[in-house]
Amino acid sequence: MENFIDLILDPLNGLFLKFKVFVPNFLAMLVILFIGILIALIIKRALMKFLTAISFDSWSDRMGFTKLMRKGDLWSKPTATLGTIIFWMLIIVTLMSGLNALQIPAIDQLVSQFFSYIPRIFSAAMILIVGYLLSGFISRAVLITAANSGFHYAKLLAKAVHTLLIVLILAMIMEQLQIAPSIVLAAFSIIFGGIVIALAIAFGVGGINAARRVIEKDVMPKREEETKDEIEHI
Amino acid sequence: MKTTTFRAEVQEQLERIGQADIIVGIPSFNNARTIGHVVRAVQGGLAKYFPDHKAVIVNSDGGSSDGTSDVVHNSSIDDFNAILLHHRVSPISKIVFPYSGIPGKGSAFRTVFEIAGVLGAKACAVVDSDLRSITPEWIELLVTPILKGGYDYVSPLYHRHKFDGTITNSIVYPLTRALYGKRVRQPIGGDFGFSGSLAQYYLTKDVWGTDVARFGIDIWMTTTAIANGFKVTQSFLGAKIHDAKDPGADLSSMLYQVVSATFELMETYAEVWMPIHGTEPVPAFGFEYTVGLEPVNVNTVRMLNTFREGLRNLGEIWFDILGAGDFGEVERLGALPDSEFRFPIGLWAQVVYDFALAFHKRKLPVEHLIKSMTPLYIGKTASFILEAKDMGQTEADAEIEKLCMEFEKRKDYLVANWK
Repeated sequence: MENFIDLILDPLNGLFLKFKVFVPNFLAMLVILFIGILIALIIKRALMKFLTAISFDSWSDRMGFTKLMRKGDLWSKPTATLGTIIFWMLIIVTLMSGLNALQIPAIDQLVSQFFSYIPRIFSAAMILIVGYLLSGFISRAVLITAANSGFHYAKLLAKAVHTLLIVLILAMIMEQLQIAPSIVLAAFSIIFGGIVIALAIAFGVGGINAARRVIEKDVMPKREEETKDEIEHI
Repeated sequence: MKTTTFRAEVQEQLERIGQADIIVGIPSFNNARTIGHVVRAVQGGLAKYFPDHKAVIVNSDGGSSDGTSDVVHNSSIDDFNAILLHHRVSPISKIVFPYSGIPGKGSAFRTVFEIAGVLGAKACAVVDSDLRSITPEWIELLVTPILKGGYDYVSPLYHRHKFDGTITNSIVYPLTRALYGKRVRQPIGGDFGFSGSLAQYYLTKDVWGTDVARFGIDIWMTTTAIANGFKVTQSFLGAKIHDAKDPGADLSSMLYQVVSATFELMETYAEVWMPIHGTEPVPAFGFEYTVGLEPVNVNTVRMLNTFREGLRNLGEIWFDILGAGDFGEVERLGALPDSEFRFPIGLWAQVVYDFALAFHKRKLPVEHLIKSMTPLYIGKTASFILEAKDMGQTEADAEIEKLCMEFEKRKDYLVANWK
């Protein structure tokens, strides 16, 4: 009879012991979550105040980020958006830290995987921001230079340069995040190679006459009837 | 104040010279073809008009590879009797050396200012090394107002073809005049006279690591002199003819250099120009005479085509800078046939002010902002050429005067929007 009672009580005892170990961990998780959320809220508010003080919204307008947000159906102010992004990043970190406090092996492994992935997310975000700024800058420079030289398709050329750069940046981000790297590499090679071949064919075959005109213009002596500008602008 | 350190041989030369009354600076870079004439004209001017003053010619070279320095060393007037009654007693010293610092005209001028300080010069002049029309009289006209008239800064006055100097005529002159209230006709003329004290004042400014050292030196010198209350005058030098510029020189780069320097100075002296209303004439020296100028060929069809291509491709950028109202006016111009194309002067003044405001508010990277203005400037220039093709010089000048009045009239708009 005593054995029978032990058979019933032992699992309960074990469960109680596990519960006894779990409760402090659970409480620790709750505390971490509470403090984490509190800190995230404080940081969000402080960050938004700082961004407002340095006129981040105006800078974002100038850099074209606001336009990009609107294209992505994000209608809040850039300051609020960045504040919310940082807030949720802190919440995720808090959640992972809280789950880690539970000391459950499966969750521990998940958490360590998450933290080892963070540097990749960070560098991908950096590539995205710098790449977006750079592609905008380069395509605008191409647009202005081409337009100033009277090129009819300046806008088209600038858009092509921008698209090429965005494709390159997206491939770099995917590679950084290790999302199907072999497929990304293959897809990128195919798309990029395809674009280059398409351009080569377009300009090489379709543009024979245009190329001839350019060469004639540069190599052959100027036609008599074409008036040369002799203005001294300064 | 950071100073450049002179090479040992320059230092020795300066110690040997000890003191000088007049310094004439000639910045150069690969000007072997023309600099000989400039040096001889300067020597002639110093000998003829300032025989009792100790003078030094300083050639500040940017590392020429065509033998410019040798030409300067070997250039001298063979027969002083041709221009003088007597040979000058004390020879004119020449200092020829490559300047240090950022390559550019500004760095070359900086060393001239420093040499003026070391030698205690009372008056200085700087002249371009590619001039073909310089005569000994230029030196007299640039230096005498300093030595005898009590002025600190002498800006040049030239006779130029009505189609030449369009960046000066349509942007720099009207803008500088409206901002600072002084009618200095050639603020970026390139040939100036200034007092020794103004040279030392220039050196107190920490601008030698900026674009002033490269290309913005002309407008910087003029604006600094006006904005800081130095006594400014002008001298009529005659025709300005210089060596043909590189035909491949990019117009948008030229525009960027000049306009960015002008806009940057607006930032520096905002407190000075904002309260100024109206303008006043600046006294002028020299005997004004008419000179025959060679005709200038222009292709307005191509210019208008560039304007229309600019409108088609840069329309979105212009819309952000000019706003809906002015952009609508510009769009309307794009639809006009060549024969009826006229860029209204009021609209042009508004365009320049809008670009200055966009520069102030950093709406775009500076180079993109100003280079995107090029087709607008070309459109304005084409319009002026079409309007002035049958005009005489006086009527063409009257058109420029009207434009200046428009800049003055609309200055309140600039001030009100400058936050």
